Amino acid sequence: MLELFRKYRKYFIIISLLLAAFIFYSWNLKNKERANLLERGVLNLMSPVNSVIAGINRGVAGIWNDYLDLLEVRKENKLLRHNIKVLNERLINGNEALLANERLKKLLDMKNLLQIPSLAASVIGEDTSPWFKTIMIDRGEADGLREGMPVVAADGIIGLLVKVVAGSSRVLIITDHASGVAGIIQRSRARGVVKGKGDGTCSLEFSLASEDVKVGDTVITSGIGGIFPKGLKIGEVSMVKKGEYGIFQTVEVRPSVNLARIEDVLILLQQPRE
Amino acid sequence: MLTALKIFLFITAALLLQVTILPAYFADPFKPNLLIIAVTYLGLKTGRGGGFIAFGLGLLQDCFSGIYLGLNGFSFLSVYLILNMAADRLYTNSRNLMILVVFLATIVNGFLHLILLLVFPTATGIYMTILAALIPQALVNTMFSSLLFSFPRLNALEESR
Repeated sequence: MLELFRKYRKYFIIISLLLAAFIFYSWNLKNKERANLLERGVLNLMSPVNSVIAGINRGVAGIWNDYLDLLEVRKENKLLRHNIKVLNERLINGNEALLANERLKKLLDMKNLLQIPSLAASVIGEDTSPWFKTIMIDRGEADGLREGMPVVAADGIIGLLVKVVAGSSRVLIITDHASGVAGIIQRSRARGVVKGKGDGTCSLEFSLASEDVKVGDTVITSGIGGIFPKGLKIGEVSMVKKGEYGIFQTVEVRPSVNLARIEDVLILLQQPRE
Repeated sequence: MLTALKIFLFITAALLLQVTILPAYFADPFKPNLLIIAVTYLGLKTGRGGGFIAFGLGLLQDCFSGIYLGLNGFSFLSVYLILNMAADRLYTNSRNLMILVVFLATIVNGFLHLILLLVFPTATGIYMTILAALIPQALVNTMFSSLLFSFPRLNALEESR
């Protein structure tokens, strides 16, 4: 027996080991959900090392991924910057179109209200001197414009055409010293001539001291002179001064149109009376 | 020929700037008059032939300013002649002197406007507006001239003459 064991010792050992392994396996089957002593020992020992290695692995993978991303980011950044520019441009254009739409709508309302043939124009330049008040518009003789035609905006009158050439014209603004428009106080019907003062305001001249003029009164065109139709708004009385002597009173008029910020105007296509 | 082209380009750029771009940034009365700088330069640096150019510049200015054609023509020519007569007695290579002369030329130009507009009473009461705007305009012109005369190319042009 012993001889037989010695002869097949190797196989006995193998079979014994396999059997032991099999018994170990089958014995552990009933507690397969729980970690046994061996598992606990190994896992407890290895888990910190695992954590460190996993961390390193994550780091390396992160760096690699970041590098790969970085290659794309530059391209993407350029594209996004371009997109932002395009979108900003569209936004600005949209806002500008909205504002232009509002302005032109007001002008159109004015055009319908006046019932006089008219032509819209855009301001393309301003006077180069601080003591003259003229603007340049993009319509001229080719569009049927002539010197002396009245120019208005949605809020009131601006001035009249001077120096008309083929493709552009100059407008003498009512605040220029050379400008004079026959005006009337809407409330009391007091008459006068609205003359420019050169500083952005006008004065109502030749208004008798006995006339009823108050601060806040609206000044409109009287229609006298045949240039401006009757009833267009010129401005608002901002100051009245009555001296003890003299037959006239000093009346300052603030134009109803913001003359420093005109962009679109309406030219009334009526021939001025000679 | 190249110098003439440069002057032409400067004048065109100055006019465009004055009429379209600068009014958006410089409110009244701080409106620069770039052509008076050109007239000052011509008066101090060129011979009598520059008078025609100065007069032409004045007429050009009149096309974009006010309603009185010839007003700037006369005043620019007068400023040019005064400067041209004084040029021999002045050290015109000095940048500071050029800037000072631009200031004075603007004042003289404004006073000539004042006189001409009062002689022909077409715009009563304008003297108040001119007097109020004269110093601010002269100061703005001085600022612009100090920038312009800082260009080394302009200095080189002066030296070559």
